[in-house]
Formats: sequence, structure tokens, C-alpha cells
Amino acid sequence: MLLQGTDLQILTQPLLRFDMRSSVLDWLGIILKRDLIIAFRRSSTYITPLVFFLIVITFFPLALGPQESLLSSLAPGVIWIAALLASLLAVESIFSEDFRDGSLDDFFVSLEPSFILVFAKVMIHWLITGLPILIASSLAAIILYLPLESFVPMILSLLLGTSFMSLLGALGAALSLGKSAILSAIIVLPFSIPTLLMGTSVVTFSLNNQDYSGFLMMMGAMLAIGIPLLCLLTVEALLLNYD
Amino acid sequence: MLPNLKVENLSCVRSEKAIFKNLNFEVLPGQNIEIIGSNGSGKTTLLRTLLGLINKEEGIINWLDEDNNFNEYRTFDCFYQGHQMGIKNMLTVFENLKLTHNAKGMNEEDINKCLERVGLYKINEMASDLSVGQKKRISIARWLLKDFKIYFIDEPFSALDDPASDLIKEIINELNHKGSSFVITGHRSSNINATLIEI
Repeated sequence: MLLQGTDLQILTQPLLRFDMRSSVLDWLGIILKRDLIIAFRRSSTYITPLVFFLIVITFFPLALGPQESLLSSLAPGVIWIAALLASLLAVESIFSEDFRDGSLDDFFVSLEPSFILVFAKVMIHWLITGLPILIASSLAAIILYLPLESFVPMILSLLLGTSFMSLLGALGAALSLGKSAILSAIIVLPFSIPTLLMGTSVVTFSLNNQDYSGFLMMMGAMLAIGIPLLCLLTVEALLLNYD
Repeated sequence: MLPNLKVENLSCVRSEKAIFKNLNFEVLPGQNIEIIGSNGSGKTTLLRTLLGLINKEEGIINWLDEDNNFNEYRTFDCFYQGHQMGIKNMLTVFENLKLTHNAKGMNEEDINKCLERVGLYKINEMASDLSVGQKKRISIARWLLKDFKIYFIDEPFSALDDPASDLIKEIINELNHKGSSFVITGHRSSNINATLIEI
């Protein structure tokens, strides 16, 4: 059936001037909805990092034996290293599919702000890797005999740290687009050392009943600066792939 | 009538080799440009350069703005479709249209009309189950989501049977009558009403 006259006019009428803020939020909503639907239909995207995280955690009691004091003293480092590596597993996929299937071209040709695209992609990466790790970290803490008092600092540090890792991951993924999957992880790992040090310090300090708020504030500051800075750098890195 | 896009002396050099040199053309409302060339002649590069995805080496790309002035930056939305069509296999036919920025604010009925126009009726079918030709029809349905001034389409007639090619020509013709222009590429002329540029 061919569309004629008024029907086609309805479909193709020009967009009226619209409120910029609602437009940006609409766009953010569209990207989030689209990518979350895809992620949930392809369950490996969020199950793989979660399973990897839990496997690494359970290896330690198996290898070292069930010595409560030893496992508890190692817990901050073990949980953080496992979280960091697990969050890097899905880094390569942040932009690769959109780059391969041409969706990324569409984003850059539209007059919508590219910053929002990157921000949305970072949020999606955190939702499918950071959030499951955050939830599973409580189980990890029980396996590794981490005292109950350290749960809240651990979760707060992981919340800030995994969010920052998603930002760094997006930059790594943009720089290694179309190249080997491991390259993005290699790019990101050296830059994740400050996050790792501060994250483990938060949990260790809480274990020793010391004040850890300074580290959390630093991590929060890194995230606050990282959101605009790393998103803009990621946009530039993505554009490099076209030249 | 002022052109929406004016290109003067546009050149592109890659690895000290000129891909195209001193290209001059204008895209007038309702008129088409067809860029013809063999593989590797720079057709895709030209489209991407026009849209600012690739930096130009030399030349001027001017876009008409709302006040009828020419600027190096674009103030209106264009549609670009490269070799890859941006179809997501894990989404349904309907979602592949609905979850794009061009469908912002459109209701279900309008989106269904776009799909029906290109002969796609099984809107809840997963895109992964479709043939290349059917996926191309989804990308053609996207042309109808909004009234774009210029459509930049890379090889629109490749991998299509005759009815689908005729459908594209029909839609191009309809959109031309509404004032939209097409800049398309191909290996040979597609017999649409267009100014041919060989590169």
C-alpha cells in the first residue's frame, strides 16, 4: 500500500523548534532503552563479568584455605582486583557494535550532542557490569570473611570506582575501536591504578577502624572531574577513527 | 532558489595520493546528485567529508542556514546511510525504527505507516531473522521518519531486487517533490533524475 498526500505529509513534516533540554533527555532515554533491551536479550553481556568476578573471588579460599584472618586481610585487594578485571571484560563492546553496524555514523551526523551518546554508553556499561558486581560484592565479602562494618565502605568505594572504570573503559574502547579486544584493557589498566589504590585503602582503613572518608572524597572528585573530561576525550577519540 | 549545500574545489588526499580533486557542485532543494565511481574511488570518503566525519584537505563546504546565509557548519539535520545500515539484530523491526533519534516524538501508528510503506508488515520479527534485502527496507523506512533536507545514501541500490529498487526510486521521487534532495553514490547511473558526478 502506497502512502499518499496527507499521510506522507504527516510522516515527513518538519520538526518544530523544541525545547533543547527535553530533546537531550529524550535522546539519552532512547540510547539507554535501546542498549538495555539489546543487553538483556544478549544475557552474556551482563552474566560474563558477574560470573568472572565470583569465580575469581571463590578461587582464593580454595587456594589459600579457609583461614579467616588471612582471607579477611586479603579481602580488600582481592575484591577490588576482581572487580576491576571483571569490569574490563565488557569494555571493548561499548562502541564496537555501533561502529561495525554504522549506528555510530548516524549519531555523529545527527545534530545531537555527542557527549550525551558517550555518557549514555558509560551508564549502560556501568549498569551491565558495575551494578551486578556491586550487588555480588556482598557475597564476595561473606566468602572472604570481611567484617560487617566494612560492607558499607566497600560498597561506596566500588560504586565510585566502578563508575570511574566505566568512564576510563569508554576512552580505552574508543581508542582501540576496530582493533584487538585486549588492547582496550591494556590501555585502561595503567590508568586504573589510582582507583585501585584508593578503593583498597577505603576497605583496609575501615578494617583497621581508621578514617577512610578522605579516600572516598578523592574518588568522588575523580568521578566528578572524569565525567565531563573523559566523555569529551572519548568523543574526540571516536572521531579519530574516521580520519 | 538557493542550494542547501555548496561545494567548491573540494579535495581529499590520503597517503599522498589524491582521492578526489577540485570537486564543485551544488545541492538544490528537490534535486539529486549521483556520484559515480569504481571501488576505492572515494565515494564514501566524499560523503563522509561532506558530513564532517572526515576532515577535508582543501576546498569549501557551505551549508545554507535559516537566514539564507552560507556557513561552514550545518544547522539542519541530514540523513546519512553508509554501507552498514545501523540495523540492530537483537531488536525487532519496529524497535529498529522506534529506538532511533529520528523517531523522537513519533507515535506507533506513524512508525507502522513508514514500515508498511516499504512493505514490512511483520513488525515484531527480530531483525536477525531478516534477509539483507529486508534489512535494507528497514533502513529505507527510516528515510520517512522525518523531513530531511538532504539524504546522503551510500550505494542505495546494492543488494536489492528490482521491486525494491523501484520502491527506492519511487520514494526518492516523492521526497524530491517535497523539497528533499539526495546525494547518492553508485558504480553506475541508477537512472534517477540526478546530476552525475564522476570521481
